[in-house]
Amino acid sequence: MLNCIVEALALAGTLLPLVVALPLMGALAIGARLVAGVHGDDSEPATAGLARGAGLASLLLLAALSVGSFAATAKGTQAFGEWFAAPGFAVNLSFASDTQSLLLALVVAFLGWVTLVFSTNYLHREAGFHRFFLAMCLFLAGMQLIVLSGNAVLGFIGWELCGLSSWLLIGFSDERPLATGNALFAFLANRIGDAGFLLAIGLAYWWVGSAEWSAIASGSLPETVKARMLALGLVTAALAKSAQLPFTPWIARALEGPTPSSAVFYGAVMVHAGVILLIRIEPLLLQVPDMMIALAFAGLATAVYGWLCGRVQSDVKSALVYATVMQVGLMVAACGFGWFEFAAWHLALHALWRGYQFLMAPSYLLLAPRPASLPPSLTQNVPLYTAVLQGFWLDRLARGLLLRPTLSLGHDMRRLDDRVIDRLLGVPQESHRGLAMSGNGVAGRALTVLSEWLQLVEDRLVLQSGGGAMTRGLRRVGDAIRVLEGLLEEPRYLMLMVMATFAVIL
Amino acid sequence: MLPLLSILVLLPAVAALLCLAAGGEKVARGIALLAASLSLLVALAALAGFDAGRGDFQLVQRTAWIPGLGVEWHLGVDGLSILFLPATTLLFLAALIVTGRGLSPAPGLHYACVLLLECATLGIFCALDTLLFFFFWELTLLPLYFLVGLWGLAGSGARAATRYFMLMLGGGVPVLLAFLVLASHAGMAFDLPSLLAATPSRDTQILVFLLFVIGFGVKVPIVPLHTWLPSLALGGPAAVTALVVGMKLGVYGLLRFAIPLAPVAAQDMHWLLAGLGTLGILYGAVATTAQSNLRGVVAYGSISHVGLALLGLASFSAAGLQATVLLLLGFTLATGGSFLLLAGLQRRLGTTDLTALSGIRQSMPRLAGFFLLFGLAGMGMPGTIGFPAEFLIVVTTLQEHSGAALAALFGMIVGAGAFLGPYRSAFFGPLRPGAVAESDDLTPREFAVALVFALLIVVTGLFPGVLLDVLRVSADAWATRLSLTTG
Repeated sequence: MLNCIVEALALAGTLLPLVVALPLMGALAIGARLVAGVHGDDSEPATAGLARGAGLASLLLLAALSVGSFAATAKGTQAFGEWFAAPGFAVNLSFASDTQSLLLALVVAFLGWVTLVFSTNYLHREAGFHRFFLAMCLFLAGMQLIVLSGNAVLGFIGWELCGLSSWLLIGFSDERPLATGNALFAFLANRIGDAGFLLAIGLAYWWVGSAEWSAIASGSLPETVKARMLALGLVTAALAKSAQLPFTPWIARALEGPTPSSAVFYGAVMVHAGVILLIRIEPLLLQVPDMMIALAFAGLATAVYGWLCGRVQSDVKSALVYATVMQVGLMVAACGFGWFEFAAWHLALHALWRGYQFLMAPSYLLLAPRPASLPPSLTQNVPLYTAVLQGFWLDRLARGLLLRPTLSLGHDMRRLDDRVIDRLLGVPQESHRGLAMSGNGVAGRALTVLSEWLQLVEDRLVLQSGGGAMTRGLRRVGDAIRVLEGLLEEPRYLMLMVMATFAVIL
Repeated sequence: MLPLLSILVLLPAVAALLCLAAGGEKVARGIALLAASLSLLVALAALAGFDAGRGDFQLVQRTAWIPGLGVEWHLGVDGLSILFLPATTLLFLAALIVTGRGLSPAPGLHYACVLLLECATLGIFCALDTLLFFFFWELTLLPLYFLVGLWGLAGSGARAATRYFMLMLGGGVPVLLAFLVLASHAGMAFDLPSLLAATPSRDTQILVFLLFVIGFGVKVPIVPLHTWLPSLALGGPAAVTALVVGMKLGVYGLLRFAIPLAPVAAQDMHWLLAGLGTLGILYGAVATTAQSNLRGVVAYGSISHVGLALLGLASFSAAGLQATVLLLLGFTLATGGSFLLLAGLQRRLGTTDLTALSGIRQSMPRLAGFFLLFGLAGMGMPGTIGFPAEFLIVVTTLQEHSGAALAALFGMIVGAGAFLGPYRSAFFGPLRPGAVAESDDLTPREFAVALVFALLIVVTGLFPGVLLDVLRVSADAWATRLSLTTG
């Protein structure tokens, strides 16, 4: 009997990729329904059912796998073949099947499923009902990839899917420019982290020869400089996704989406992705102590920042999100101090508690008394109070230092195209001065000048009425030649010519 | 065995003549659609008959054409070019399908021009004789000139046509010169295999390579020779623009002729390709942010993409080459698809200017959804064909040109904003009353086209190995040949 169970669990181990594939298939199915043009109340249960079914199936599968992982002997990474490969760059379908990853995935799957169930009623008759569940399924697949990926490429894909679904959900009510603007802001801030992640993957292929997490984290990079570069890329990605300083402002803008999605993205699950990444590359980080110190500083600074900014928020979701940022800051700081195990426990507990709090957020308006008044130490220190109210102007800094220069550079380039390059290459324009052709650009102008000069030559020398200068000259030459010919025809001159010729020859 | 490639290249040309003869719109359109569908089938048959395990040229046809000059009708494909045949024929069929009825003037001439362009484009991908290639290369100009000049926007269309024609004519000269120089070093042989066997001196190679870079660079386009592309995208008929922007012939010229025929020079001047690529990526991405028209946005985005393709070539590795071809194929689907959707938008609203657009997502959700998917493919989002291509290019480039790879990463951030920003202002926001609110979503015909493109993008994105397998052996041979020449 027991053997049967063990065997069944071992069989379940081969189904690990399904944990990711199920939500992905759910997303594809809902996408297909959207393309087919579903709408109306009647279509809602099927869409929600698809998403919830995928979520529940992946949850149950994970539960079985987690139980199995305690009994199983083989732990670590399971490979399921190759996804695609180019010479020197193989991307494997490998998944982490250690107990810690599976338990984290279980927490994610549980929170995801609960949120899906909650959302079915919460979003009833919303215009974007189907879109919401599509994005949620994409998110679940992405998040499970982050937790369960056996290599950095799959992790990066999860990273991107989370970013995309986050963009879709922040801009959920897309008729409001504020919501879509914030979605774009959050996406671009995350994109900086994505670039760091991709850089790290490239470096891993170059220096380590593989993008498997086990290889990256094994400390097989003897040179500290290389290890530091590799860690820098991944830490940037982690800080961006977990909204740590200096990336924190995006998360405050990310709450425009429906509450359930805010709960699962910025409260419970996605905001922890950075910490999950840090835990995964623990051995690599231990190799570069300066990066650990930087992490500790970033985490502690974010915790203080989150605590201060959280004080002055006037709505429930913003206050909660700053509290989340503060807790995540503490987790990052814990990683910086080397307490990775502690950070993992903190993460799982915080995720569950904050998910519950966020889902309850709309009810807090009824349940909670008026918010606590601010501590006098904060209100009396006017500069600090202003700074906190403004979120330390990080938002404006990002705009002033990154966004605006890029945009004005874009305008400069457009001007360059219009005023310099086009003029050099030439733009066909309406023919002016009554000419059949007109030249533009440097080559065209040069050609025009040349042709005008030729025209001048023709005009003056050949075509002038009554004979141009050239015609007149030619006529004179012709007359002279005719005279010469006449003279030559005379016998004496002919004889002279013949004699002269003989003289020259002899 | 059937001469598949000859049929493929000549079928559209014959159909073009029939279209001209038919004159009437209905008949001409019928002929064009039939010919384009048959071409797609022939291209698929060629793909089916192709053995991906061999690195040499296959399905070869060779007969004398102009014996006096030594020019041969010499067609053949290898792993690097075979995939372009179905991609080209699919794009042309799609463009014909979405082209609206009621063309004026001279609908017969329009369809004849499109088919002639298809013949020339397919010829470029199949030609193994350099002069034959050059013939097809220049043959693309004539139909495009008329297509853009006659059926483009009044005024700007004619100007864009003239500019395109002059620049491309200018770009053709260095290419021809390069072929002649190469032939003079190979006993006046013009066929590609003989030229590949000859090894001209290093100085000759440098001359030839520079000529190729200028000549093909105009078509790529490289910055600063790129301004014809946005002007064509803004002035030309949108469906035709999809054919021009969607087919990256310039990069194909570089990877098929410039680099293999001047291998030493190309590797000596790797900085030139990498530098031009970097410039293109950054310039395209940043300049996109200043565009005020959706077609301009896609056009400048494509300049950024070909920069990435140049970067992939510049690594001179099999992986980089595979990634580049993958990027070009994905590009045909994504950018071509985008322009086909914009053609529909232009027809409905009379404009694609951002100031006139808002809230399209509400009145045309399908169009908005497909356009988003095509844009995400351009951004290299996982799950689309853009991801494996851009990922492999960045990863390979990092080892060869680290600085350029960092620039590509920066372009990845700016490029995302440069697409999603305009997308937001055109497709999101309050529904704009008037034309936007009253227009219908995709017609069944447009829907079918967009769906096929979207499915191809997603399926090849999830299973890129299918395409990479076709490319592998030829790409290996290409890279091995390069590494041998440097000893």
